[in-house]
Amino acid sequence: MLDISFARSALPKSGALVLLVGEDGTADLLPAVDEATAGAVSRAIAAAEFKGKPGTTCTILAPGAGLSRVVAVGIGDPAQLIQRTAEDAGGHACAALTREPAATIAAAALSAELAATVALGATLRAYRFDRYRTTQKPEDKPRLAKLTVLAASAAKAKEAWAPLQALADGVALTRDLVSEPANVLTPAEMADRCKALESLGLKVEVLGPKEMTRLGFGALMGVAQGSACEPRLVIMHWHGASGATKGKKATRPQPIAFIGKGVTFDTGGISIKPAGGMEDMKWDMAGAGTVVGLMATLAGRGAKVDAIGLVGLVENMPSGTAQRPGDVVKSYSGQTIEVLNTDAEGRLVLADVLSYCQQKYDPKFMIDLATLTGAIIVSLGHEYGGYFSNDDQLAAQLFAAAEETGEKLWRMPLADAYDKQLKSDIADMKNITGRPGSAITAAQFIQRFVAGKTWAHLDIAGMAWSSKDSPTVPKGATAYGVRLLDRLVAAHYES
Amino acid sequence: MLKLRIGTSAPKAAVTVIPVAAGAEIPAPARAAAAADGFDGAAGQSCDVFTADGRLLLVGLGADPSEAAYRAAGALAVARLPQVVRLALDARALLPDTAVAFAAGAVRRAWRFNSLRTIADPDAPRLAALHLLSDSPGIEAAWNRPSAALRGAAFARDLVTEPSNTLTPDGFIARLDRLAHAGVEVTVLKRRDLEREGLGALLAVGRGSVHRPRLVLLRWPGAMETRPVAFVGKGITFDTGGLCIKPADRMWEMRADMAGAAAAAGAMLSLALRGSPAPAIAVLALAENAIGADSYRPGDVLRSYSGKTIEVVDTDAEGRLVLADALAWTIRRHRPAAVIDLATLTGSIVVALGSHMAGLFGNDDGLAAHLAAAGEATGERLWRMPIGDTHRSDLDSDIADLRHCVPGRGQPDACQAAAFLREFVGDTPWAHLDIAGVDSHETADDAQAQGATGFGVHLLDRLVTLRFEDPHRA
Repeated sequence: MLDISFARSALPKSGALVLLVGEDGTADLLPAVDEATAGAVSRAIAAAEFKGKPGTTCTILAPGAGLSRVVAVGIGDPAQLIQRTAEDAGGHACAALTREPAATIAAAALSAELAATVALGATLRAYRFDRYRTTQKPEDKPRLAKLTVLAASAAKAKEAWAPLQALADGVALTRDLVSEPANVLTPAEMADRCKALESLGLKVEVLGPKEMTRLGFGALMGVAQGSACEPRLVIMHWHGASGATKGKKATRPQPIAFIGKGVTFDTGGISIKPAGGMEDMKWDMAGAGTVVGLMATLAGRGAKVDAIGLVGLVENMPSGTAQRPGDVVKSYSGQTIEVLNTDAEGRLVLADVLSYCQQKYDPKFMIDLATLTGAIIVSLGHEYGGYFSNDDQLAAQLFAAAEETGEKLWRMPLADAYDKQLKSDIADMKNITGRPGSAITAAQFIQRFVAGKTWAHLDIAGMAWSSKDSPTVPKGATAYGVRLLDRLVAAHYES
Repeated sequence: MLKLRIGTSAPKAAVTVIPVAAGAEIPAPARAAAAADGFDGAAGQSCDVFTADGRLLLVGLGADPSEAAYRAAGALAVARLPQVVRLALDARALLPDTAVAFAAGAVRRAWRFNSLRTIADPDAPRLAALHLLSDSPGIEAAWNRPSAALRGAAFARDLVTEPSNTLTPDGFIARLDRLAHAGVEVTVLKRRDLEREGLGALLAVGRGSVHRPRLVLLRWPGAMETRPVAFVGKGITFDTGGLCIKPADRMWEMRADMAGAAAAAGAMLSLALRGSPAPAIAVLALAENAIGADSYRPGDVLRSYSGKTIEVVDTDAEGRLVLADALAWTIRRHRPAAVIDLATLTGSIVVALGSHMAGLFGNDDGLAAHLAAAGEATGERLWRMPIGDTHRSDLDSDIADLRHCVPGRGQPDACQAAAFLREFVGDTPWAHLDIAGVDSHETADDAQAQGATGFGVHLLDRLVTLRFEDPHRA
């Protein structure tokens, strides 16, 4: 992880320097660096026709004054600078600095909060998953290790950075989990990694197959029964409002709850998937990965909220013990489900975890995240996660948080006509419908397990993994949802 | 369309249909039968009762008897008694608006298409006469409006059902005489006109067929001195897919690929029949997407009416091409206050929304909100869908101004198609309805007849009432 520090504004004597240049041509340290380089930087900016537009950069190599490079990053109108633009500027700066071991960003013209946000953008972009590279040559590795952000008040910027660092850590944790291959990240391994978060002050419970069978998790256990890797249910508690150890249960506020689909690998089961692209199914636990990263973020920044995160971890395998198309399972809620397609397994896992969460913890609301359907990709592509909700207020809060963080959402409908399509000939419901409207019918299925509780469902199948870089998300695991839900909590649910 | 006869008492040999709200008192002659059958007025329930005075059908309205509940009850009556020749809807206790909703539901459900049958089907529905019993003096006037929309919708449903060997572009145009008789001005642009005007995208799509493409302008003058509202309809009278030919399985359904144009024409008929004060135009882009020696090809670049060049990726994404020209032409030539296009455009919208809602895209939140409200009010429901930045950037072409779709499976093609159409509307308030999932109803049920739905006619008719008939609007 990038080492971030803050300092007072002064021209560095060596290394790389990033200037945040507005459309009006102004930037912190631009006059100073021009003076030290006899106007070389301004001349280069003019020659490159760099106008300070957001998303543009201009690199000037060895301009003099001991600097190895100056990178001008456009921020648009400085008076209108918003968090997302500042974050993106940090990301663009980071992408232009991979050859430099250390760099300085001149951000003293920005507020302390925005200066810290630039650091967040750079940190998010600097993420790499290179645990399994053993032969990469040192000169091919990105070198940027240390970033100094110059701020008007280094102390204030550092203070603003603390919660953002927790967020960056949470995002990195999610990206690690999602990137891990399925032979390493089994349900048990993922549960162990959740358990390790107790160091942040979370209380972590882990349930295994015996406990879940005893509790009656028939839907989740049906999915798990084909795999040699045992399933787990992990429940992470964060008592940021009521205190970690103090307070009897009765005096604690209703928690808010996040639930994640954690299929550590999804072959489709007996209804096996085509081979092409099956490798992507290692990230079919991204909903759970996001919940884990979110809980780590809330704990890491000491969020004043009581929150619980539940992740249902299973592997969906075809084998002699696997469930068959046509099997009927009894869910934790008591409702029976005819499993017509074993590849519609995510909703089976969520059904039990949501019911359990609702009955055991009576949360204020439940938000579930899942890489649930291909249909949501055909509906919205890779720009928006699809979300469904039975509560307009929660839906509006989610939409606003999505717009602010740039983790975009689009609301999709729920209606009785779709629910009716789940009718089964021999059980309370079936687990699939035809392809038309199938992201909606999946949401209707899940809604049958929330017992009227305020609820939202995020179908993130198109968002968990990215095939190309964006300013703050290098290609690969995106950790989509962590920033969005952290913002939701910060904006509405902290005391 | 089945004609509704309005009177005060039931004719002989009619089955009388009585709507009953949940928990409401049941008429005395039917009370014992209802109790024996467990009928309590819940929505979707019916109870068929033989009394000394004749046969009754009780239909449930549910706990909240809205106009929609009355429409559903009217439809239910028709669905439950298909072998009855004469139905009398008893609306004597109802206000005029509720009474006509009850009747409208029945008429809508009773639509069927028989003109191609030469052998009588003994199992076919036999309903031949529908009566509305009401003693309210305002009932005739109240029926005027829903009646117009129902006739417009029936016209559209007939067009959608008619097969493509008779409903060619010119066959479609021949049937527009009905609109001319109702006071709608019909103008047809033929191939020479289209070439002169430069509608290169429409011409390209129609090039493979011996049935030449046409652009039809329908104009209803209305009574207000304002710019018209415009409806633009995709009218592919048959869609083989062109050189990117579709699989044979269910290809016959593609005779309905002109449902957008049919709905636009049906809405115009409705406005004319009820004498709407709002001026309106409809532009129908009619073509057959066939395979021929002169078919347009994947990789071709077309010069559209707007001047923009379009790289063709897939000849089966033809609807957006004809709409691109029709939209640009409508806006440049007629300067409408707003334009709404309707099209059976993408399979993607069917995957997204199934068959219960159509996709709504657009560039104007006020127009979209009125459309959504009109959809809720008429039961032709819409769901707003996005046009994101990536949906547009996905259309960047290597050699032309833009390409019309994106290769590869699993694309958000409905959103990308909307992004494509947006390139041809400029600043004009615009909405695009992707009706691919809702133009036809697979099997008959309590609510709907099997076959063409006429989706869009009731919706557009209501939109005009909500948004374009206010004389004080800007």
